[in-house]
Amino acid sequence: MIINSDARACSWTDARSRSAAAARGCSRSLGKRGFDVRSFGTGTHVKLPGPAPDKPNIYDFKTTYEQMYNDLVRKDKELYTQNGILHMLDRNKRIKTRPERFQSCKEQFDLVITCEERVYDQVLEDLNSREQESLQPVHVINVDIQDNHEEATLGAFLICELCQCIQHTDDMENEMDELLQEFEEKSQRPFLHTVCFY
Amino acid sequence: MASGVGEQAHGSVASQFYSNEEETAFDMTTSEKVVELLNQAALISTEEKLIVLKQVQELIINKDPSLLDNFLDEIIAFQTDKSIEVRKFVIGFIEEACKRDNELLLRLIANLNMLMRDESVNVVKKAILTLTQLYKVALQVSLSVSDMQEACWDMMTQIKEDVLALLDSDNDGVRTHAIKFTESLIITLSPRTPDSDTPKKQEGDISLDKIPKDHTYIRYDTLCEEGKSALEQLLKFMVHPAISSINLTTALGSLATLARQRPMFMSEVVQAYETLHANLPPTLAKSQVSSVRKNLKLHLVSVLKHPSSVDFQGQISTLLLDLGMSQSEITRCTPATVQPRKRLHHDNALFVLADAPLAEDDEDKEEPAPVVTPKPSSSVGTQSAIDLTAEFLLPLLTPDNVANLVLISMVYLPEVMPASFQATYTPVESAGTDAQIKHLARLMATQMTGAGLGPGLELCKARDEEVKEEDGGAGESSSKDPLIIRKLSAVSLGQAISVVGAPAAYKSPITEEAPQIKKLPEPILPTSQPKAPGASGRKKVFKLADVVQPFSEAQIEKLSNMAIKRILLSEKVIAQSGMSHVRVKLLARLVTQFEGGKKNDLLQFILEDMRGRSELAFSLLYHEYNEYLSQQPSGSLDSYEHCLYTLLSGLQEKPEQRDGLFTKLVLEAPVITDSALEVIQRYCEDESRVYLGMSTLKELILKRPSRQYQYLNVLLNLSSHEKEKVRSTALSFIKRMYEKEHLKDCIEKFALTYMQFLVHPNPPSLLFGAGEDTEVASPWTEETVRQCLYLYLSLLPLNHRLVHELAAVYTEAIADIKRSVLRVIEQPIRGMGMSSPDLLLLVENCPKGAETLVTRCLHILTDKVPPSPELVERVRDLYHKRVPDVRFLIPVINGLEKNEVIQALPKLIKLNPIVVKEVFNRLLGTQHSEGSSSMSPLTPGELLIALHNIDSSKCDMKSIIKATNLCFGEKNVYTSEVLAVVMQQLMEQTPLPILLMRTVIQSLTMYPRLAGFVMNILARLILKQVWKYPKVWEGFVKCCQRTKPQSYNVLLQLPPPQLARSYILCAAVLSLTKEKC
Repeated sequence: MIINSDARACSWTDARSRSAAAARGCSRSLGKRGFDVRSFGTGTHVKLPGPAPDKPNIYDFKTTYEQMYNDLVRKDKELYTQNGILHMLDRNKRIKTRPERFQSCKEQFDLVITCEERVYDQVLEDLNSREQESLQPVHVINVDIQDNHEEATLGAFLICELCQCIQHTDDMENEMDELLQEFEEKSQRPFLHTVCFY
Repeated sequence: MASGVGEQAHGSVASQFYSNEEETAFDMTTSEKVVELLNQAALISTEEKLIVLKQVQELIINKDPSLLDNFLDEIIAFQTDKSIEVRKFVIGFIEEACKRDNELLLRLIANLNMLMRDESVNVVKKAILTLTQLYKVALQVSLSVSDMQEACWDMMTQIKEDVLALLDSDNDGVRTHAIKFTESLIITLSPRTPDSDTPKKQEGDISLDKIPKDHTYIRYDTLCEEGKSALEQLLKFMVHPAISSINLTTALGSLATLARQRPMFMSEVVQAYETLHANLPPTLAKSQVSSVRKNLKLHLVSVLKHPSSVDFQGQISTLLLDLGMSQSEITRCTPATVQPRKRLHHDNALFVLADAPLAEDDEDKEEPAPVVTPKPSSSVGTQSAIDLTAEFLLPLLTPDNVANLVLISMVYLPEVMPASFQATYTPVESAGTDAQIKHLARLMATQMTGAGLGPGLELCKARDEEVKEEDGGAGESSSKDPLIIRKLSAVSLGQAISVVGAPAAYKSPITEEAPQIKKLPEPILPTSQPKAPGASGRKKVFKLADVVQPFSEAQIEKLSNMAIKRILLSEKVIAQSGMSHVRVKLLARLVTQFEGGKKNDLLQFILEDMRGRSELAFSLLYHEYNEYLSQQPSGSLDSYEHCLYTLLSGLQEKPEQRDGLFTKLVLEAPVITDSALEVIQRYCEDESRVYLGMSTLKELILKRPSRQYQYLNVLLNLSSHEKEKVRSTALSFIKRMYEKEHLKDCIEKFALTYMQFLVHPNPPSLLFGAGEDTEVASPWTEETVRQCLYLYLSLLPLNHRLVHELAAVYTEAIADIKRSVLRVIEQPIRGMGMSSPDLLLLVENCPKGAETLVTRCLHILTDKVPPSPELVERVRDLYHKRVPDVRFLIPVINGLEKNEVIQALPKLIKLNPIVVKEVFNRLLGTQHSEGSSSMSPLTPGELLIALHNIDSSKCDMKSIIKATNLCFGEKNVYTSEVLAVVMQQLMEQTPLPILLMRTVIQSLTMYPRLAGFVMNILARLILKQVWKYPKVWEGFVKCCQRTKPQSYNVLLQLPPPQLARSYILCAAVLSLTKEKC
C-alpha cells in the first residue's frame, strides 16, 4: 500500500458516529503501527450526535474542531462529556484543526476503507468522476458496520486486523482478493472491494 | 571530494552559461548541491536516500532542468539499487525527466526496458505505469525528431507488446496495470473525434489523428491496427472465465473510459457490458459479484451520460434496470438527445471501415464527418452477431415457446442456487412487454453468440469472408443484401430446431424427450430465463464441477488400479520403444503413493519374472525407501519393509533361482529390516540354499558394518542348528569370519555364552528354537549338550586359549554333561595337538574337578602318537606335586623313565582290568599301529621282570599274577626267546622271585620246545638251593613232574633229602592233579 514510491497511505472515510468511532479507534492503532492513516468524511456536512437521535448537531467542513468543541460545551457540557463527544473532539483538535472531506482531498492513497455501503458508493463516485492522470490504483474496501456500540467495537478490531494482514502481504494487489475472501468467511460479512485509478 | 566533482560538473556546464557570470554562480550552487546530495545518497539508508534523491529530482527537473543532462547517469545508476523503493524512484525519475525533455527518452528507454523485467512486481508495476505515460511521449518524439530514432520506437513497440503480454501475468496487480496500459494505448492509437470526452490534462496528448501519413517509419495503418488489436485483446481478456474481480473491475472502468473518450467503440463496449452482465464469471464470490455489479452500474451510468450513447440507450437502460436502478434515475442520467450529435456516431462507427478519408484531412475536425455518409450496410457491419441473432429470435419468442423453454430448462437447473444468481436476481418488472421480449431476445442472443451459435454469428463470419474477398473491390451493398437474407433463412431453420423448437410441430416430442435429455451431457444451453443471467453457462464458463459427479472411493480405486495395470501390461510395447526406464520410474512413483492392492499387484507382477523385472523391483524398493526418508522423522518403514519382504520371500518360494538375484537384492537394499532378515535366515535354514543364504549373510556382515552384529548373530544362531548341513556350513562360515579381528570378540563371546549354558541344571529354552514351548525341567541330553558346544569346539582349534573356559565349565557341570563333553572333545583336542601351550597349561594347572577332562585330553592326544617330553613333564609334575592319581600317567607312560614306570606298576596293575590292559598295551606297543614298542621305556622282558619284582607288600599277588597273565596273553611279544631271557634273569636274582617257577611253567606250557632250556634252569636252581624258597620249590617240583622224564636228570642232581621231599610233594601234587582231572 504504497503510493508515489514512499508514503504508506490508508484513508478512512466515514461520517457516522459509531462507525466513525470505530474507524478512529482503528486509525489510531494503525497509526501507532506505522501506517500513514487519514480519516475523512464524505457527506456534505459533519454530523455529531445531539440531545436526541433526530436532532444532530450539524456543522460544515469549514468548522474547526475547536469551534465545535466550544459550541457543544456551551450547549450541554454534561451531556457531551458523558457521551464522549467532547473527549473525541478534544483529541481530534490536537491532531488537525478541522475535519476533512474526502472529495476535497487531492492526495493519492493506496487503500480506502469505508464502513458503510453508502459511503463506499460516494467514494467510488468521486474517484471515478476525477480525471485519470497517473493511473495509480487505489483499492476501496467497504466493511459494513452496524451503527451500534458492540458492532463498532467488533468492526474496529476486524478492520484493524485486516489492515495488519494487508500490511504483511508482500504484494498487496496480488493477495488482496484471497485475503478478503478469508476475512469474509471468518467474519461472516460481505466486503465490497474495488479498484479505482487516480 | 565534493568540490572536485562540482568543478567537473561546472566545467561541462560552464560553456552554456559562459556569458552570464551571475547565472554561472547561481548554477554552481545548485550543481554543487546536487553533487553533495548524490554523494550523500550513495552512503545512507534507503529511507534517507529516497528523501535525498527526491531533492535531487526537484533540483534538476524543476529548479534547473539544464542540469538534468549532466546528472542523468548518476541518478540512473541507482536503478540497480538493492531497495525496491529506490528502483521505483528511478522509474519515476525517468518519467519526470522524459516528460520534461522528451528527447531524453531516446537514452532512457533501454533502462526502462530493463526495469520492466525487474524481479520485484512492484517495480514492474511502476514501470508499466510509467510506460503508460511514456508511450505517448515516445510517439511524440518519433514524430518530431524523425531521424535515427527508429530504433527507439522499435524498442518502444516491443515493450508495448511485452506489456500487453502481461495481461496473462500470474500477478493480479501486474494484470491490473497492464489493463490500464492497454486502455491508454487504445486511446492513443485511435483518432480523437469531436465527441471524444477528453480530460483537460490530456488535451495535448497525441493520438492517431495527429499521425502524419507520410512518416518514414511510423505507419498510420500499422498503429491503427495495433490499436484495434489491443482492443480485441482487452475484450478477450474480459471474457476470460477465471478473471479476478479486480481485473474485471479495472477492465470495466477501462471500457467506460474508452467509450467516453473514443465513442467509436461505444458499440463494442456496450456489447461487452451486456455479455458480462449475462455471464458473470463463475469464479466470483458472492460479495465480489456485488462489487462488480456496483461497478458495472457506475460505469454504465457514466457511459450513458455521454452524448454518443444515444443509439445504445435502450440496451444500457435495460442493463441498468437489471442492476436495480430505477427508471427515473436512468432518465435523469440520460442526456438530452442532441440531434446533430447523433450523426457523429456513424462517423465513429465508420472508423473501422473507412479510416483513409478521415486521415486525409485531419484539420477538418469541426466539420461533422462529411466525408462518408452512413450506409445501412455499415450498420450491419457494426451491428454485431448479437444484434442479428436477437433480431432473429424476437419473433420466435411467443408465450408458448417461452413456456417450453422454461420447462426444458427446469431439468438443467443446478441443485443449489448459485451465488451470482442470488446476488443479481431482480424481479422482471415488465414481463411480456415488447421491451422485455426484446431484452430477452438480446440476452439469449448474447448467450448464443458466446456459445458460437446463432444466425448472427454465421452472418458475421460470412460477412467477414466477403469483406476479405472484396477487399478494395468496393463491393456493392445491394449485392450483399440478398445473400444475407438467404443465409439468414437457411440458418434460422436449423437453429430453430436445435435451440428453440418450432411452435407446433416440435412441441410434443420435446416434452416427451425431456426426461431423457436430462441424462445427456449438454452443457451449452442458451438460457431461457431472463432472470437468471448469471446462472447459465456459455461455452467459456463451462464449469466442470457442475456436470461431473465426484467418483466414489471404490470407483477411484478401480480406475486407478486399471490405469496402473495398463502400464504394467504395456511392458513389451514400451520396451520396444526404448522407454522402459520411464515406465519403471512411473510405476514405482505411482505405486509408492498408493496403499494396499496396487502394491501387491505390482509385487506379484515383478515376482512372475523376477529376473526380467529386477529393475522395476529395485526402483520400487528405492522409491519406497525414499518415501520413508521424506517423511522423516515420523515416517514408518512398514511399506518399504513389506515390499522388501515380499520380494525376498517371493524369491525364496521360487524354485531354482540360481543367479544371485537374491544376494543382489539383499546387498543393494538400502536397509535390511527385521522381517527381511528373517527371510534371509529362512534361506540359510533351507538345506538346498544354505550356501547361497549364508554367503549372502556373510556379505551383509562384512559390508554393512553398522548392523553387522545383528547379522552375525543370525549366523551364530545357525551354528547350533539341528540340521547338520546348516550347522556345518554355518560353522565353516563362522570359522572364516573368526579370522577377522573385529568380529572375533563377538563370535567368541557367543560361543562361550552358549557353553556357559552347560552350567545350568537344565538346558535353556533358547536351545529349542524360538516358538517351542519348553518345559522348564527338561533334562540335558546328549543333543542339547552338543548344541551348546558346536561353535565352541570348532573355534577351539583356532584359539587354544578357549580350552580353559571349557575346563571351568566342566568342573561345574553335572555328571551327564561331563560324559557328553568328554565324548565330543576328541576331534578338537586332537586338532590342537599336544604341543599346544594352552593345553599343556591346562594339564599343568588341572583345575580341581577337571581331572577326568584332563585325563581324557591326555588320552586323546596320546592315542595315536607318543607323548611329547613337554607333555610328559607336565603330567609328571601334576602327578607328583598335586594329584597323585596314577591314571594320569597312563597316557604318557611311554614317555616316562624306566624306573618311574616300575615304581608306578604296583599302582597301575591294581586298576580296573581294562585300564590295566590298556597300560600294558601301551607299554608293550601293541596298541600303536606302527609298533613303536621301541619307544616304550621298558622292553617286554623288563616289564615281566619288573612285575616279578614288585614288592608284595605294595601289591597283592593276585594283581601281579593277573598282570603277568596279560603279558603271557601277548604271544607276539613274549616269544620263547623273550621268555627265556626273562627266566634266565629271574633265576639269577637272589632271592628268587616268588612267581619265578609259575612263569617257568607258564612259558613251558606256551612253548614246549623250551623244555631243554627249562631243564637247564631247573638244574641251575638246584645250585641255588631252591628248596629254601618254599613257593619256588613247590613250583620246582611241579615243573619237574610236568617235564618228566626229562626232569629226572635234574631231580637226580638234588641232594637226597630234597629229593625225598620232592617225592612227597610230588605225590601230593599228583593226587591233587588227579582229583582235578
